Amino acid sequence: MFLAIKEIKHEKLRYGLIIGMIVLISYLIFVLTSLALGLANSNTDAIKSWNAQSIVLNKDSNISLGQSIITEDQAKNIKLSSKDAYIGQSSVVAKSKGVDQISATYLGIDKDQYLYKDLKLTSGHKATKAHEVVADEKFEQSGYKLGDKIKLNSLKDKYTIVGFTKNAKINVAPILYGRISDWQEIKGMGTTLAASAVVSQNQKTDFSDANLKNYPIQKFIDKLPGYSAQNSTFTFMIAFLMIISLIVIAVFLYILTIQKIPNYAVLRAQGIPAKVLIKTTIAQSVILVISGLVIGTILTILTAIGIPTSVPMSFNIPLLSLVAIGLVLTSILGSLVPIRTILKVDPVEVIGG
Amino acid sequence: MTTIKLTNINKTFGKGLSKVHVLHDINFEANKGELILVLGPSGSGKSTFLTITGGLQTPTSGTVELNGKSLTSASKKDLEKLRLDKIGFVLQSYNLLPYLNVREQFQLVDRVKKQGNLDKKRFDDLIMTLGIEDLLHKYPSELSGGQNQRVAIARALYTDPEIILADEPTAALDSDRVAEVGKMLQELAKEKNKAIVVVTHDLRLQNYADRIYHIIDGKMTEDKATTETKEATEQK
Repeated sequence: MFLAIKEIKHEKLRYGLIIGMIVLISYLIFVLTSLALGLANSNTDAIKSWNAQSIVLNKDSNISLGQSIITEDQAKNIKLSSKDAYIGQSSVVAKSKGVDQISATYLGIDKDQYLYKDLKLTSGHKATKAHEVVADEKFEQSGYKLGDKIKLNSLKDKYTIVGFTKNAKINVAPILYGRISDWQEIKGMGTTLAASAVVSQNQKTDFSDANLKNYPIQKFIDKLPGYSAQNSTFTFMIAFLMIISLIVIAVFLYILTIQKIPNYAVLRAQGIPAKVLIKTTIAQSVILVISGLVIGTILTILTAIGIPTSVPMSFNIPLLSLVAIGLVLTSILGSLVPIRTILKVDPVEVIGG
Repeated sequence: MTTIKLTNINKTFGKGLSKVHVLHDINFEANKGELILVLGPSGSGKSTFLTITGGLQTPTSGTVELNGKSLTSASKKDLEKLRLDKIGFVLQSYNLLPYLNVREQFQLVDRVKKQGNLDKKRFDDLIMTLGIEDLLHKYPSELSGGQNQRVAIARALYTDPEIILADEPTAALDSDRVAEVGKMLQELAKEKNKAIVVVTHDLRLQNYADRIYHIIDGKMTEDKATTETKEATEQK
């Protein structure tokens, strides 16, 4: 440790550049991971907030909420418990004067069921009357306020925002929670439609209709349009980034050690044991990587504070900690690569011919 | 008392047609209190002689003994310990780490070799003798060639070794500095009772040596005339 710290302190520029490189690599990995996670969460925020374990959809819907319809006749064959709730889904474009229009998802819910009861607001109140909606915070961030009248698609009636909630996004689109009767109106099919689906906090909903099917919620999430493909892309991207970064760090540490071979040869000639030099090399690598990680983490936190709220960014501390531990372990591995070279350093080389 | 003794040392490199016989039947000994010069041109085998004497290389045949203990049959670990405890190297490249200041060069030794190094009083005495007491906070890059060499000698002596092996210690020094280093090595050998062996092609050091060996094409001969003249001068 003595030699490791002394050398870093003396060779400030050289080691500063290496720490800088590690800072950039760790920052890049942290930010990309957080962005990928943020985007993944934007797909599933609302679903997770429902605490649902299963969902009943029309069996011909290809496990797509948007394509699923439960008719009134089918609904008669469903025995809802207190842990089940109807949802009626429709894609809408919300417009209001003076603010940008937003593509959103309207979710009709029943005020007597758990989804409505469990809905947590950041401001305002729940929709108690017709044409009232609770909007996701995205609306608030885009300039919409409580009491604003919004137009949905080309419907004549205007809707009033009476509350805001957070983490209410499905497939990245912000949700407008309203009454299920209003959803029927938006759909334009009257009361022939009961809902799009039934979500349940149980593993199964009690129903007896051959046209309906129960799915685990994770399967439903995996089938969200683009969700799996997007996640796979990000996972592979981050994995490759990790592997390449780790190799780059290992190569740098190896080059650093190789550059010190003449000094090591002198020390070996003086009888300094190889284990002292190996410990020094490992300690130096760990110091460099931990310093880089600490600065990278601070930069990531500053980025999280400064980045616009419209950019989805989510920090999963256990995941990021794993990434950090991976970097430290790889740096140790990188510093182990030249151990053979250290052990084979020939002190004779430093004695002139 | 003989500190180091080399008997019938031969060293060859390579095999078959590329075989090179670098040292031929070298017999050599150094005693405490002596400054011995091994003079030879480049490629004469003097560095190979030094590395075998210091336990850095093993001879093809022959024996090396330090205080009666064979180096040729010692394990790598034992040789490492011997180099740390009993042998001090002063190399042409000054053997100082560029990122440690002068004081830290000694602290490094303390961290590796916990016992047997010079105590504070003897250390202060040593750095006073070598005139480096004001250089303790300086880095090797801030020192002149002569200062670096004096620090390197102090570093070699700090472990209180039996023998000092110096490789071209005056290679980069002007005549004044050569005289300074030569005189200092001579005094150290006497005052600290060390055997000091210097391999060099620098004839300017001849005046300070107690004995001189010449090495040419791997064959070593003692310069008896110089030794006798020295002894005669000392007796007067």
